[in-house]
Order: sequence, then structure tokens, then C-alpha cells
Amino acid sequence: MENNYPNLQLVIKNDRLSAEKKNKLSLLGRILSLVLTYAFLAFMALLMIFPFYWMIITSLKEGMEINQMNPTFWPQIIRWENYSEAFSRLNFGTLLRNTLVVGIFSTIGTLFTTIFAAFAFARLEFKGRDFMFSILLATMMIPGEMMVTTNYVSVSLLGMIGKDNLMGAYAAMILPFMVSVFYIYLLRQNFKQIPNELYLAAKVDGKTDWQFLWKVMVPLAMPTLITIFILKLMGAWNSYVWPNLIATGNQDFWLITNGLRGTFSAAENINDYGVQMAATVIVTVPLLLLFIFFRKYIMRGVSRAGIKG
Amino acid sequence: MESKNNWKAWLYLAPVIVLMAVFTLYPIVNTVVVSFLKDYNQINGSSKGFTFYNYQQILSPGGLFYEDVWLTALPNTLILTLITVPTSIILALFIAIGLNSIPFLKKIFQTVFFMPYVTNAIAIGMVFSVIFDTQTGIFNAIFGTYGFPWIFPVPGGATVAYGSALFSICFYIVWHSLPYKILIFLGGLQNVDQQYYDAAKIDAASRAKTIMKITVPLLSPQILYVMITSFIGAFKEYNSVIGLFGTNGGAFDKNTGPSSMKTMVFFIYDQIAKGKVQYASAAAVILFVIIMLFTAIQFKVSKKRVHY
Amino acid sequence: MEIKIKNLTKVFPGNPKKNIPDTTAVSHLDLDIPDGQLLGLLGPSGCGKSTTLYMIAGLKQPTEGEIWFGDEDVTNLTPEKRGIGLVFQNYALYPHMTIYDNVKFPLTNLRVKTTKKAVKILDNQKIDELITNNADEIIEIVKSSVYKEKISKDAAARKLVFRFHIVTSLAVKIFRLGLHLVPADELSAKIAGIKAELAADNQKITEKFAKHGYSLNEACECLTAEGTTIIETRRLSTSEIDGLVQETARLVQIDQYLTRKPSELSGGQQQRVAIARALVKKPRVLLLDEPLSNLDARLRLQTREEIRRIQRETGITTIFVTHDQEEAMSISDQIVVMKNGVEMQRDHPQDVYNNPQNLFVAKFLGTPPINTFSGEIKNGALYIGEEKILSSKSFTEDKPVFVGIRPEGFLADEHTKDEDKVFSITVKAIVTMGRDMSLVCEHDKFIGEDIKIIVDSDIDAKIGVMRFAIRPNKIFVFDAKTEERIRFEAK
Repeated sequence: MENNYPNLQLVIKNDRLSAEKKNKLSLLGRILSLVLTYAFLAFMALLMIFPFYWMIITSLKEGMEINQMNPTFWPQIIRWENYSEAFSRLNFGTLLRNTLVVGIFSTIGTLFTTIFAAFAFARLEFKGRDFMFSILLATMMIPGEMMVTTNYVSVSLLGMIGKDNLMGAYAAMILPFMVSVFYIYLLRQNFKQIPNELYLAAKVDGKTDWQFLWKVMVPLAMPTLITIFILKLMGAWNSYVWPNLIATGNQDFWLITNGLRGTFSAAENINDYGVQMAATVIVTVPLLLLFIFFRKYIMRGVSRAGIKG
Repeated sequence: MESKNNWKAWLYLAPVIVLMAVFTLYPIVNTVVVSFLKDYNQINGSSKGFTFYNYQQILSPGGLFYEDVWLTALPNTLILTLITVPTSIILALFIAIGLNSIPFLKKIFQTVFFMPYVTNAIAIGMVFSVIFDTQTGIFNAIFGTYGFPWIFPVPGGATVAYGSALFSICFYIVWHSLPYKILIFLGGLQNVDQQYYDAAKIDAASRAKTIMKITVPLLSPQILYVMITSFIGAFKEYNSVIGLFGTNGGAFDKNTGPSSMKTMVFFIYDQIAKGKVQYASAAAVILFVIIMLFTAIQFKVSKKRVHY
Repeated sequence: MEIKIKNLTKVFPGNPKKNIPDTTAVSHLDLDIPDGQLLGLLGPSGCGKSTTLYMIAGLKQPTEGEIWFGDEDVTNLTPEKRGIGLVFQNYALYPHMTIYDNVKFPLTNLRVKTTKKAVKILDNQKIDELITNNADEIIEIVKSSVYKEKISKDAAARKLVFRFHIVTSLAVKIFRLGLHLVPADELSAKIAGIKAELAADNQKITEKFAKHGYSLNEACECLTAEGTTIIETRRLSTSEIDGLVQETARLVQIDQYLTRKPSELSGGQQQRVAIARALVKKPRVLLLDEPLSNLDARLRLQTREEIRRIQRETGITTIFVTHDQEEAMSISDQIVVMKNGVEMQRDHPQDVYNNPQNLFVAKFLGTPPINTFSGEIKNGALYIGEEKILSSKSFTEDKPVFVGIRPEGFLADEHTKDEDKVFSITVKAIVTMGRDMSLVCEHDKFIGEDIKIIVDSDIDAKIGVMRFAIRPNKIFVFDAKTEERIRFEAK
């Protein structure tokens, strides 16, 4: 073997071509792959955007136009009435009020519980800390469906369900979701990154934990808190299942998504599509606005989840 | 100092502990218990003793819900999961790798790809039902399949085939789940040290080889994470069905379409609404067991292939 | 492979909007590196040495200039087409692959150009040779490869590979011959039997080749009807890959760790793996980026000798980058000192030390560093302060100068007889270091913190003003403005 292998002349592919040709080939190859990549991405991006585009233009079309065999890519006649009709059919005012109440209160509630818990887990030393935290993490694995049934029974036993019990309905929609283990985890990570020296310095200055928490840690962790706020708010806006259960039989308790689906059942009448789409635009636009303004926070919060992996 | 800390810490944790005990821990236990109770009455909490009756109704032929669950909801859920998860993961991987390698327009593409995430699953589901509409849907128009029933049957004509309905919901689920995966993969890709790519270049590895042998293995922790969360998420699919097919989950009848597109979770909520909490609980427990099984399998398989 | 670098320049464009100016990392570098040389690129951080290395590798594009490997202009070639091996500063070993796979990786992307051979016959010949001459040893090795009380095929194969420098598949074949199962008295018969089988097999293979119209020559190469050898370009076979990997692993002495992953190895071992990966494809040029900077002091000494040994054995043209002058001095054939992207001097290590061309090079090499004074040339002699240090007819112009005196260039006691050439320095502290003595001194014409002088420990040293003579070959004079060396002949 010693005779054989050391004398192998190793050669790079296409070695017979001159250096000039090699350059040209690799340049061509690079350009080609770049073009293909852009084409692929552009195609996928188009697929991603298309439903939004279609949603908007359909919401502006007249029933007749929607019904045409050859769909148009731009409304011939713009029918703004679709929107006014959507607003009224949706009972938008009530829905908005409900959603905002539930959303804001549950978000604020979550923020508080999360801040307290994250602080305890990140900064305070106490017996059983790690054990508690692991239990918390473990519950993240349990699907929500396991808890829904019992929670429904619980809230009805607590008297929150009732035909005219608006406050009860609110409470039922807020309380079970005031704790989110994921956000506790996120905030704890953020808190942990604040150097311990600050804590010790504050102690030396005679500050209590409470003061330290609110004067130092919360301001420093503000980006994460904003992320939590926005994501939770979005969650409330998009929630469907639980409010649907709570509000069974009483449409006035509906949140916005319930209203959307409930008001328009599928495939009613063709003119309806325009109004339906207008309604979906109304429901979707606030989210997109949030996205435009707070894009950084949202994307950062979601990708953090992956690092945990 | 120690004990003072203990006391304080528990105070801080109090709200969390109370809320979780009531709305998380207690329910988990209770659901399992209820699933074994016969004729559970949710209003006064009475029951007629422990039994396997509820499970029997779901799992054995001849049971009340055998057809609904074992023949419809469970297969639906499984097929849906097995189709959408691999498809969306592979697509997301390609997109993320592509995104990571382009020199310009990165931010714009990222924003566009992330848009579906910030939307309402049900709202956009309704948009998709318009797109897939039999007579007027743009999908049919683009592909020339006029009048092909994807979601809604042709009045007085063709029924919706199971395959078509499945196609439309899978299409939607993949569309909706791509942004999250793309974001995670992109994050993971950006964490890969440029040096490995340089070394691969010196080692004369072609583009494809670099991706297969270097990028993907280095991305394997993220891939595993996405796989597990996607599987779990797909098993719990509910909102998309509501969005696309309506509140009765596409309850077609013989004349209009396939038996149903209901998923497991659909069944659970259905039962709750009907007041039959015990069946819902049993179904939830079954769902949980299946999810755990799949997750455990994935972990086992990952031991060999995931590199940290 | 000789390397020629012409007018190599790299400018990183700045950002006019943010007022960041263009940075010139490398400026008009010209180098000729003969085949087989070990060249050190030496300089402080940011002097452009790593950038130069990366441009030679092809990972960075030069703004101007050309790079030639032999008679091929590789300036615009991508890295994989240049045939180089690069050892990264942080090794960049693929963490998810075993060492074996890491070293093997480059080979899977290459093709081999070789004559068509009857490989099987060559293998058979090798087996024949081994069982004839080394049967007893083989049996001993196999019997000693026990794992969990059973003879292990893998362990035996590994040991055979190690001992006889053969390929794994061959080792497995030998194991399978079962020589260790045969009782002693039947051994020679068995061996004869195997040899007969091998001969028969060779015959069959020869006949098969003949059917295709090929005959075989002495070296088992296929010959066409006209008697010429056939050259083919093909993928490497598993055996060939294995052979190359094993051979390179032996060269850098990592053949014990082939099944482990990089995270299980120490820094020094990882380094050697990185070198193996670079060398396995028999590149024409080997590049190393600060190879020793991540190792602890003891390992550094060991490893740099390793690099030297490996380079000598393989004869590959090698360039390495470092900021440690001791490292560069100890193993390079030639050193190029760089500062701010410009070549300061290029010479054999000892010459760079003994004959610095400018103040920067003089100060950069040498531990402790050279002592710099400000002085002047007046009337054909060199003065530091008021004292005349030496005279020379080369001192034609009067001008201010920098004077550098190596720490070892001071002579005391009997050498200070000649008043004309004596230098007075105030000694602040005496530090005995066993063989030498280090004197910490001060002088008002000295530029810097403390003067360090190294003398033999049996010199009569005392605190206070001492007088020294200066070795003429340890004193260097530099123009105060240009910092260029002023050469002179000592009288």
C-alpha cells in the first residue's frame, strides 16, 4: 500500500480546463444559482402574499364581479359599501369592546404575574426553585385540550357562566390565561442577563427587592416586556375556541374572531363574499398594523423560542 | 436571610401558583379522572362510578363515537399531520437556506415571509375558502379546473372528494405554518459559524454537498425542535378547519362530500358543547397519549442524528 | 509549488456616509516563494498578514495584484480550484463528524488521475507478502485484540493497519483468513494453501483483463494492445480514501483518535486533525492561520516542531501567519515582517534578527526587545548624549538617529578599557535568572520605560552607574526620520 497510494495524483474536477475557463465557469455557476435562488424565493413570496392581495380586492368587489367566470385582478367597480355592511353585520362595536377588554386586562394581568414569577426564578434564591421551574416547563408540553373541559366546568361552578353575566364572561375569558409559562421563561432569560452586580449594588444602597425589580429590572427588560405585551394582545385578538365555549348562546359575549366566523357561515350567498372579505380585512388590518410598527419585537420573540430548542 | 428570601419568593410566585393550580394542574388531573367517570354531570359533579365506558365508546367498534373518532377524526388528524409537517419543514428549510444566501433584499423577503404569522387563522381560512371556491375561486381559474369542488360541492352536481378537501386544508396549513419555521431555521442558520463554510469551500465541497453534509447537520437541533412542535401543533389543528370549512367543520353528507374533515380537537370541543364532558375528556387523554408517543419516538430517533 | 505574489493590494471600502475611511489592509506586496519553503508571515495585529493569507487561499479577493501558483494565474480562481490546504485559527473542524470523516471529507470531493491498475492483484500480492513473512506477528496481534472476552475484528483490523500500514479492508481480509484459529503444526500448510488460492485468483483476474484486451505489466498496470498505460480520471475508491486518511493520520500522529468526535479531543489534538484535513488531499500549498495561538505554552513548543517536521517530510510549500516572533524565528525558512500591510523585511530568521532593515523590524524581533536610544552622528562617530559609542568611516553625514542595542550586546568588566567606546548607564535593579543576569537600567536618552541588559551572571554588577562596551554587531543605527537602517563598518 505504501507503494500505491502516496503516488496518487489528486486532481480537482475539470482540471483540464485552463484557468480562464475555470473562472468563467464558476462565475456562470454562481450567477445561475443566485438567479435561481431569487426566482424560487420570489415565487414563494408571491404565494405568501397572494391571499392578502386577494382578500383586499375581493372585499372591494361587487357580488356580480366576484361571481364571474373569469376573475378580475382589480375590481372594476369599487364597492366601499361592503365595508359598512361588514361593520354593521359584525356588530363590530360590541365585538371590539369585548376583545379590547379581555385583551388588555389579560395582557396586563399576564405581565404582572410574569414579572413576579420571572423575578422570583431569576434572582431570588429559595428552596425548590429549580424543581418548581422544571414542573412549570413540563406543563408546557401538555396540550390545552386536556384542561379545557375541566376549566369550563370550573368557571361555570364559579358562577361565571350565565346568559346575562357579562362580567362573568369577561372573568372567564381572562383568568385562565393570566399565566403563560412561555413568557415566564422568556422573561427569566432576560432577567438573568442583567448582571448580578447591579442587584448587589442596589442591596448595598438599601433598596428592597421590590424597588429593585421596578426601578432597575423592568426598565432594562423593557424590549422583552413589549414583546410579551404585543404577542399576548395578538393572542387575545386571535382567540376563538375558549370564547366560543364561554359565549355559547350569547352572541354579545363574542370576541372578534368568534364574530367573524359566526356571522358569516361558509358559502351563503355570492354577494356575501365581498362583505365577508371586508370583514376579514377589518379583522386582519389591526394585526398587520401591529406587525409593521412592532415587527422587531414580534420576530425577536418568536425566534427566541427556537434558540431554546 | 435565607428564610426571608423563601417567604418573599413564594409571595412573588403566589399569583402564578394559584392560577396554575386552578387552571392548569387541577384540570389535568381532573380531566383524566373524569374520563373514567360514567355519566358525569358537570353541573353538580356527580357520576355513576369508574368505568372504561367512555373509552369504549370511542375506541371499540359499535361504540357511540367509534365512527366519529376512530374512523374519521383520528385518521383525518393523522393524515393531515403526516402530510403537512414534512412538507412545510422541507419547504421552510429551502426558503431559509435561500434567504440566508442572498446578498440583497433580505429584510424585505423576511417581512413578506413572516406576514402570515401575524394573522388570524380563521380569518385567513375564510379567505382561502374564497380562493378555493368551486365556481368563483381564483385557484380554479388559475389552474383551469373550473367548477372543481375543493371545499364546496357543486349545487346539484359533483360532490367534494375527500382528497380535494384534504388538499385544500393541507395547502392552507402549510401556508400558515411556514413563517414560524422559516424564522426559527433562519435564526439557527445565522448561528452557524462562517468558518465551517470557508472550510467546506477549501475542501472543494459543492454547494449541494455543503448544504447536505454541513448546513443541515449543524441545523439539526432546530430541525428537531421544529419537528416536535409542528407535530404537536398539527395534531391539535382546529382553527384552520373552522376557518376553511365553517363552524360545523365541513359536515358534508352523502350528497355533498366526504364524511367530514373534523379533527380530534374538533370532536373534543363538540362534545363539550353538547355537555358530554366525559367523552371529551377521554378523547383529550387519548390525544395526549398519542402526542406523547410521537414525541418520544422523535426523541429516540434524534439521539443519533442531532448534533449539538 | 512555487508561489509568486505581485503587487498584491487589498483595500476595504469605507462608508462615506458614516465617515469611515477606506482601509488599506495590504499594500503592494511582492513575494516570491520557492517550492518547498516554510515561510512565516510575521507582524502585529492588523498588519494585513491574515488578509494576505486569505487572499492566497482565495477566500478574499484582492483589489489589485496577481497571485501565481507555478505558472498558473490563480488570482480569480475560487478556493476549491486552487488546490490548497488551509488550517484555520480555530480549526473549524466539523463538530458533527468523527475525526475520520473530517479528514476524509476533502477526498470525497476530488477525483484522481491515475493509471488503470489491477488493484486486486496488488492487494493479493500484499497479503501474500505479509502472511509469508509476518505470520507469527499477525497471529499475535489478532489474539491480543480482545474486546469483552471475544476476539474483535475491528480492534484487530485497527492494530494491523497501525502495524503494517495497510488499508482497513485489507486488514479485515487478513483477519478473515483465520490464521489465529489454526493449530501451530498446520500453520505452514495453511499458509501454503492460501498462497495457492491467491495465485489462482491472480490468474483469473489476469485472464479477465486479457479478455478485455489488456495485458498487465510488472507494476500491474493495464496495458493496451500497443503497450501503453491507460490514464483515467475517476472517483477515489473506498480503499484509496482509507489509505490516504490513514497515511495522513499517521503523519500527524492522530491515528489513535479516528473514531472520536472533535469535541472529545484536546486543543493540540484538534490542531493536528485540522492539519491532517488540510494535507490529506496533497495540496500544492499549505496555509496556516496563527496555528499556535490557541495552545498553551508547553504545547506550543511541541506543536511548532511538529509543523516543522511535517513540512520537511512532505516538502509542501507552506505559509503560516503569526504574531509571535519566537515562533516564526524558530521554524521558518524565511520570514516576512509586515506592518500596516507593507512588507518591512524579508530574510532568513537569523538575518532578520541580526540585520534588521528598519527600526520596526529591530524592535519587533527579540525578547527582551531591543533597547532604543536617541542619538546623533557627529564628526564620523556615533554619540548617545555626550558619550562617543563608536566611530566609523561610514558615518559621513551628521544627523540625528535612533540607536538600537540588543540586550545581549553589552559587555562589562575587562571590555570597558577603551575609554573611547564606553557607555555609562545607571543600573536600577539586578535580577538573577540562573545562567544570565538581567539588569534593569535607565538613561536619559532612552526611549521607553526601562532598559534591559542581559549579561552573564558572573559579571561584577552593582546598582548605580556602570560602564559597558557595546558589541559592534549588536548595535544598529537608524535614520531618525525614515527609520531606515544606516549600515556602517566598525573600526
